[in-house]
This record gives sequence, C-alpha cells and structure tokens, in this order.
Amino acid sequence: MSLPNFEYRSPKSIEQAVALRQEYGDDALVMSGGLTAMILLRERLVKPRVVISLSEIPVLRRIDFSEQELRIGAAVTHSKVTSSAQVRNIAPILCEACGHVGSPAIRNMGTVGGSISHGDGASDTAPALLALDAEANVTGPAGERRIPLKDFFHGVFSTELDDNELLTDLCIPTPAVGTETRFMKYTNTSEEAFATVTVAISILRGKAGICTNVRIGLGSVAPIPMRAVEAENLLCGKVVTKELIKEAAIMAASEADPPSDAQASREYRRAMTAIWVRRVLEDIFLDKCDS
Amino acid sequence: MNPQEKLAITINGETHELDVPVNKTLIDLIKEDLGLIGTKDGCRQGICGACTVLVDGVPIRSCLELAVRCNGKNVTTIEGLRDAGNLHPLQQAFIDNGAVQCGYCTPGMLMMAVAFLKENPTPTEEEVRKALIGNICRCTGYTGSVRAVMTVAENQGSNQTKSIEITA
Repeated sequence: MSLPNFEYRSPKSIEQAVALRQEYGDDALVMSGGLTAMILLRERLVKPRVVISLSEIPVLRRIDFSEQELRIGAAVTHSKVTSSAQVRNIAPILCEACGHVGSPAIRNMGTVGGSISHGDGASDTAPALLALDAEANVTGPAGERRIPLKDFFHGVFSTELDDNELLTDLCIPTPAVGTETRFMKYTNTSEEAFATVTVAISILRGKAGICTNVRIGLGSVAPIPMRAVEAENLLCGKVVTKELIKEAAIMAASEADPPSDAQASREYRRAMTAIWVRRVLEDIFLDKCDS
Repeated sequence: MNPQEKLAITINGETHELDVPVNKTLIDLIKEDLGLIGTKDGCRQGICGACTVLVDGVPIRSCLELAVRCNGKNVTTIEGLRDAGNLHPLQQAFIDNGAVQCGYCTPGMLMMAVAFLKENPTPTEEEVRKALIGNICRCTGYTGSVRAVMTVAENQGSNQTKSIEITA
C-alpha cells in the first residue's frame, strides 16, 4: 500500500526541529531511522500533517564520552552502537542489545532514539538502557531537561516526551568499578524476531560479596520496558546464594505483566521470565555463591 | 496532490535529477520511476529483505525509506552489480550452487551478501547465516545461498593468497 499524503520537513538543527515540533504539535510525526514511522504511516495508524525527518541533523549522530558519562545521539543507528569501541568499553550490554535488534539491514536503519521515543514494550535496547541507569536528554522550547529512563515510559506507545520536545541523546553514567552486566534476548521463533523475553542486568558486588546497585531491566514482558524493582530489592545489600537467586527470579516474573500474542502466551512469557532472570543471575554469581 | 521536492540521486553510477512526491518510497522510485525492476517488493514491513539495496554502500530496506531522504546519496541495486556485462562473482556463484528457485528473494539476498563480504571477506558459515538472517527464502532452505557466499569468500581468499605470493 502506498503512503498517505503528508508535508515533509528536514530541519538542519535541533533548534529547527523543536520549532517545527512547536508549530505542528501532535500533528507531526518525527522520523529518525524510519522503521516504525513508515509502518505507522503505511498502516494508517497515524495520519500526521507533517513528517519531520531527523536525517539531516549531524549532531544527533554523535557518540561522545567524558569521565562521567557516555552520550549517544538519538539518531545513532544500532549498527553504529554495536561497532563503537567506546560504547563497548563502557556499556558492553548496550552493544549486545543493539546487535540483537532485528536483522543487519534493520540495524543499519533503526536508531537508538527512535526505539526509545516510540515507547514500545518489545524494545531490546530499552532493558539494557534501564539496567545502565540511562537518562533521556530532551530538548524543548524552554531548553534541555533530563528524564531518568525508568520514568520515561508511561504506557503503550506513550512516553514522558511532550509534543513540542525532541529526544536528543541517551546518557549513560560511567559504571562504578567492579560492576558486572549481562544481556540476554530469548526468542522462541527466530533470532531476528521480537523477543519472548529480554533480560538486562547490572550489579555491583562489594566487599564480602554484598550486592548493591542492582538493576534488572526486562523487555517484551509488559506493555512498556520495565525494571523488576522488587527483585532488585531482594538482592540489594545481601550476599547472593542460589536460593536467593531463585527467589529474585520468581519475584521478577511476578512483577511482569506480559502480553499474549501470536508468538507467546502471557503464561509462557512469565515462565520464561523466571527462568531467564535466574539463568542470567547464575551466570554472574554461580562460581562465587555457595551451592 | 502531495507536495514534491527536488531530488538528486545517483543510482548504479548514473545521477538522476527529478521532482518526487515526498511520500514516495525509495523502492517505488527505483521500480516505477526509473524502471529498475530487479529489486523486489515483498512484505513492505522490513521483514522479508526482498527490497534490500545499498545506500552509500550500506544495505537497507528500500520499502522503509523515503526517496526524498536519499538526496545526494549513492544507491546500488541488483542492476548495478554487473561489471562490463559480466555477472558479479556472487551472482555466478548463486547460479552454480543452485541458490535460486523462484528467485524472488535473490536480488535482496545478493545485495546483502555483497555488502557483507566487503565487511567480512573471510567469514565462517555461521557468520554468513547470521548476515542473511533478514533475507527470507521460502524455496531453497538457504543451503545453496550460504554455499554460494562461502564459495566466493574462499575464492577471494585464495586469490588474495596468490597475489601475495606473486608480489613476495
């Protein structure tokens, strides 16, 4: 099917893009990599008056880093993240997550900011960014503001982003020395398909094996990308044992609110959440905890 | 009537300057306006890979890209693989290895394979399978296509070895 009629703007700067956002409000569709935007248009799920393309704003394609944080432009493609030595150094699980999005040509088009601003619960990158304590840097008419990613997602395709704002960067704080991270995408069909469950975990293990800064990001098991906060609390401040891992995994599964779809039922996704959270935690701790 | 914009786009080495409706996809420009019908139109959702073309050397889905966003870019389609009337080695290898049955996935798969071998000239079979994971074939079961890509990689490898031997 062909695309509906729309006007087209390709701003050259963030300021121009924000001005267009202000001018058109919710009558505009922002297009970054285009993967989601083109399907929304073709299926007539949205009928915007104008499409604002971010393809001509070079600053949105930058990856910067300082001692404090890694800053990834919203229009950086998944392929670029995967192949970035800087990102691999600071946030290897984000490279892994981006390397698991769809297939190679999809990763060449899709962008980190597009995936996040869309607010899709099935995003593979969101759980990794949640585990990394990322913040969304957003520019609006009043200037910039930062939104912790855990507060960014509101509901199905609904986010904290206002109609006149633009997501410009994702900021990842440099992890404390000794932080361990893992990423895992499980799919019961084919590797390039949407996940049955995605698990991303970051943990700092201090003296005597006591855990702090526990973050468990989950994808495809709730309407929005989520953190299993209760499971995190179970592990935090404790010495991790096999029993505790099992408890935390069951807790994480009970926090999930999985959808049923053609790929997997709600019950199956919940069962897989418990299994994969347990396996990922065991992968971090098994050689160290008493069995 | 949808708004139009001026577009300068190079396709298979030839630069075209035209006015395009802003809601025209790259695949429609290639097939309908320029008559290059080798690229195939499958799912229109980015899943099947039949419409894969190279934009500035990078494989993308032409069904999910607006033509107007390719202003100033270099696009290579299946028609651009031929060199002076000769088939590209990958095209020949697809024929030799029985990688083609109905042929609908072939142009997209070839574009993906060309870009992949440029990036990774000495792949393992597993890497080839991963590279082609987004190009769906319902006839052949992939065995022929994977073998074709591996054959070209191995031949390129032995050519490289030869030229090193000669210069040494």
